[in-house]
Amino acid sequence: MTRGSGDTEQTDAQLPSTARVLAQLIRPVLRALPVRALGATAAVALLIAALPRLLSDEPNPWSALVALRAAALAFALGLAFVLDDPTRDLTSSVPTRRILRTTLRVALVAPFAALWWTAAVLLVPSEVRPPVGDMTLEAAAAAALSLAAAATALRFTDEPEPGQRVAAGFLVIALVSPLALPYDWGMYVSPAEKQWGVGHDHWAMVLVGAGMVWAACGPEPIRRRRLVPTRTS
Amino acid sequence: MSTVLTLAPADTSTAPARQSWQAIFALARFESRKLLLRIPVLFMLAAYVAWIVWRTKGAWYGYPALQDVDRATQTGPLLVGFAVLLCVNQAVLRSQRHDTERLFGVLVLEPWRRTAAHALSILPVTGLVALGVAAQFGWQAVKSTAVGNGSVGELLVGPLCVLLCGGVGLLMARLVPKAFAIPVAAVLFLVFSVLAPVSFGGDGASRWMPIITESSTKTLPSDLIGRPAASHSLYLTGLALALALLAVLISKGRTKTATAVLAGSLAGAIALGVVGGIGQSAGVSSEMVAARTVATLNPQKDQTCIRHGRSTYCAFPEWVPRTTTWAEVTDHVQSLAGGTAQTRKLLVQQRVEARYGMEADGAIEPSSTPNQVTVRTMWGGPRTPEFSAAVASVLVLGNEKAGGDVCDGRMVTIMWLALGWTSHPVTELRAVRLDDTVTGSASVLSPTNGMSMTAGQTSVVRELFVAGQSTVTPKVKAHWAELTSPKVTTAKVAELLGVKAPAGADKCE
Repeated sequence: MTRGSGDTEQTDAQLPSTARVLAQLIRPVLRALPVRALGATAAVALLIAALPRLLSDEPNPWSALVALRAAALAFALGLAFVLDDPTRDLTSSVPTRRILRTTLRVALVAPFAALWWTAAVLLVPSEVRPPVGDMTLEAAAAAALSLAAAATALRFTDEPEPGQRVAAGFLVIALVSPLALPYDWGMYVSPAEKQWGVGHDHWAMVLVGAGMVWAACGPEPIRRRRLVPTRTS
Repeated sequence: MSTVLTLAPADTSTAPARQSWQAIFALARFESRKLLLRIPVLFMLAAYVAWIVWRTKGAWYGYPALQDVDRATQTGPLLVGFAVLLCVNQAVLRSQRHDTERLFGVLVLEPWRRTAAHALSILPVTGLVALGVAAQFGWQAVKSTAVGNGSVGELLVGPLCVLLCGGVGLLMARLVPKAFAIPVAAVLFLVFSVLAPVSFGGDGASRWMPIITESSTKTLPSDLIGRPAASHSLYLTGLALALALLAVLISKGRTKTATAVLAGSLAGAIALGVVGGIGQSAGVSSEMVAARTVATLNPQKDQTCIRHGRSTYCAFPEWVPRTTTWAEVTDHVQSLAGGTAQTRKLLVQQRVEARYGMEADGAIEPSSTPNQVTVRTMWGGPRTPEFSAAVASVLVLGNEKAGGDVCDGRMVTIMWLALGWTSHPVTELRAVRLDDTVTGSASVLSPTNGMSMTAGQTSVVRELFVAGQSTVTPKVKAHWAELTSPKVTTAKVAELLGVKAPAGADKCE
């Protein structure tokens, strides 16, 4: 055996593969997830999705659409807290890159989110339910946007728990955008209107754009730029 | 380390009350400055200003009635209110998030006093919103075309909503001290307030919402609107105060006196809210019903009549300044007419269907009295050509009721008189037609029952607009008797006025 291959073996042993790292990380990351924030927002979001059923015996398609969109928004607000890490000062120096850790967090939340969305859709009476595929796209775009905003906040500030600021900003934007965006973009129309199709092209763009922002904001910066002073409210 | 404090610390619990009040105000100043500089609040303030400009520019076609303008200021402040809801909540939770509660524990301000300071910090942003409301209302009120009276009760609703939002944020922070609670709760409140009125229907539930919207968009004389604006703002004040006081009351560190005073104030606030609530759910009084019936069926009892030139204009007192504008239109229409119609004395009467209040609309029956024209409460935009069409139909047909049945060439004469004098007659034609077209057949709007134009009549009218006033007017005056005689065909009218006649006979649907 040559000396070189021995070195390689040694390096392999010292630096385990990404898969093994991830497998080892699952339990600590699961423990670090903001379970209460996610659980509470998911519960309230389910309540919102159930509102048409609770408030009226014969819900109309419009209220079902409003409720389902609002439920998706509420759940996305919960997702803004997923990247919160009170121990950021310690974890930023560990060898495992942050993008792996944050992606693992999201991957662990994803099955729960899918389950939640199924429940939310099922809570809307089938006769007034808007098209499920398109609504899923909207919900996914909202969730991705929220996560991308949280990743951006992590990338550009020192804040260990940017969730509450991100959620507030996200909610404010979500409230203003139906008023401010041109109607022809069709992002908040009802299924009967002709802009529904083009609106969902735009939602797909939002989803892709949010994914790109997420990827770009994944790495921990070597030198941190301080756009916002640390720890102010 | 070895120097141990042997002296007992000075007794801080007997600090004079005056000093703690000063500390509360100092903290309130600090917090309000911080609140005003939060990005969501700044963003929403900017959005609110944009909303005011967008909503006010060109609103009511430049002829506002102030009893509508006051109501239109109410929804915009909710934008700011939402940001205040979130940011006040986060400001209260800041010390917990940064783990400085223990440090604050040794300071002069107990938690309840800090909550009180946070409650006071909502006031400056509320003041800014009040300025916004005043600007939006003032913008319309200074217009020389404005009529009517605004109501202070309606104008207060916007700022009170901001206060209410702040109160909710404050109370939520003390009830559920978690950062994730308020955004989701805000969405829940919002969806509930959007869906609940639709689902429950009727007045009962929507009376308790911060903003009461009305299904009718018509303008009524301000004393017939019958919205309990003063009671509603009292109810909102009571509610906002009660929420804020409750938040202070459930905070820790109160002395017995403070608890007693706070509980007393809370009871007062609740009483205020209850008084307002009872006042606003009283419903429409019988005097109001009687007044509305009189205004609808016998408007002349309430109205003031003024003579401008040949004709008399009867309007509800608030609209008297607008009679000169109506007179200009009447004079223009009469100047295009021929025969006796040029000098005929008209009675222009303002009429409105007030019996259903702001809850529903109703059509006004056309008057069968000769030479009487109806004018409604709104003006500008399509309302102006609508009125001139009514004047023209009365000049040509004798009374308003006949306008609904006319199907022959006289319709061309009517539309020429109605629009021929305007600077952009085709634009006005588009405005006055129900489907906003300038070709084909369509219904023509009118203050009472509409009229209808066939495709042939439309093309002749447009030819006349192209020919212009100087060419057409002499011909109209020369052939007035034929142009206004019953059974004259559209083709004949076109021939008399020297424009291309349409193919086919008049046929009305």
